[in-house]
Amino acid sequence: MELFNSESKKIVSDPINVNNPISLQVLGICSALAVTIRLDQAIIMTLAVVFVLCSSNVILSLIRNYIPSRVRIVIMLSVIASLVSVVDELLKAYLYDMSKQLSVFVGLIITNCIIMGRAEAFALKHGPSKAFLDGLGNSMGYGLIIIIVSFFRELFGAGTITLPDGGAGYVLWSIPESWYAAGYENIGLLVLSPGAFIILGLVIWIQREFAGVEEDA
Amino acid sequence: MHSNNYTLFFVFIVTVVLGTMLSFTKDSVKDLQDQNLKADVQKTILRSLNFDESLLLTNESIEETFKISIDAKCVNVEGEIVDCNIEEVDIEKNENILPIYIRMDNDEVQGIALPIAGKGLWSTIFGYIALNPDTDSVLGIQFYKHGETPGLGGEVEKKWFTDNFVNHPLKLPNGEIQYIPKKIRDKSGKIVSIKVVKGGVDYSESNTSSIHQVDGISGATVTADGVTDFLLEDLLRYEKTLDKIRDYGTI
Repeated sequence: MELFNSESKKIVSDPINVNNPISLQVLGICSALAVTIRLDQAIIMTLAVVFVLCSSNVILSLIRNYIPSRVRIVIMLSVIASLVSVVDELLKAYLYDMSKQLSVFVGLIITNCIIMGRAEAFALKHGPSKAFLDGLGNSMGYGLIIIIVSFFRELFGAGTITLPDGGAGYVLWSIPESWYAAGYENIGLLVLSPGAFIILGLVIWIQREFAGVEEDA
Repeated sequence: MHSNNYTLFFVFIVTVVLGTMLSFTKDSVKDLQDQNLKADVQKTILRSLNFDESLLLTNESIEETFKISIDAKCVNVEGEIVDCNIEEVDIEKNENILPIYIRMDNDEVQGIALPIAGKGLWSTIFGYIALNPDTDSVLGIQFYKHGETPGLGGEVEKKWFTDNFVNHPLKLPNGEIQYIPKKIRDKSGKIVSIKVVKGGVDYSESNTSSIHQVDGISGATVTADGVTDFLLEDLLRYEKTLDKIRDYGTI
């Protein structure tokens, strides 16, 4: 099979745009609301989800013909849970501050519907290379949305843009003191969960407008 | 359709493979994780003692600062120094071996950090409270480990909550407001600790104990009550030690 033919491209690009797991299928909302307070958290979370989803898709696709269908959900869950635990342990070892901030939400990747959903809907029916591309597309579709949401939440909510580094985050840019002196204020609501709903709602609206999606009435 | 035996066999193999993978991962990063945990505890102590954040950026600088500036020892409830391996003292269980971390500068006590721990709603909350050399006013408080609900009880570790302990709005006679730390001793010098108050502190003149109270967290009354309880309990264990430091400037 050719890796970069148009079908493969479609497997990757579809979930990023026209069939985005968050904005179209409205999956994985829990973590999308919880870890989007700061950009650096969203970026690390994206990397974690890319790793878990790609690996789980490939592993499950490789053993798909051997899995007894009666226990397939249990097998999927064990594979996903193990991968998430590995990520959690690695974060605690190499990015301790980040793992403290992400706290339970790394563990909750296990219950992220996107991962189980792709395993059941795609990985068990396709070969490993396609499953990998599907995992890549979906996790990047997820990541794209949470990175956009966290960018706006952090910028307007806390007045900073933070990139991940080994420690507590590298502040790339923050709103200058002179703006605050001139009367500018951060929007406190955006730091709270309702703020995430509002931004996410706007992102979904704009994204569906661009993708040309129409909901059945 | 696969047979039952095949299914059992398959599940067994998967379990063994995944289990091996997990234990291998844990094993290979355990040392790093332990170092991080140790540095995190030291960072909490240093933070409560109001060290500059620039000293707390890496594990190495934390360890270095801790080594230079902190005099760590153990005392008993009578206020006498006892031998201990301070890193292995279980602050929850040990009633009579109490760790104490003193920030020294030119042989003078600058602050005293004491471990505090107790039950919140879901979990044991761990932290440190630091007092000024007068052993009355709070220098800082930090929590580093807990399993409370993020956004509710989990807010105990947030700056807005811990800042409550060092920002008491004192109304000056000229009408201006000056921020002073909260106090753990009443006027007679008895330790009364600090109470986390549901809804928020009443700062009107009629509430004479507002200096011993901090704002609670909405939706986390049980966590807040837990903090109130273990803070008092733990401070009382150090009463004699704190009296000594107040009266003699040393233990």
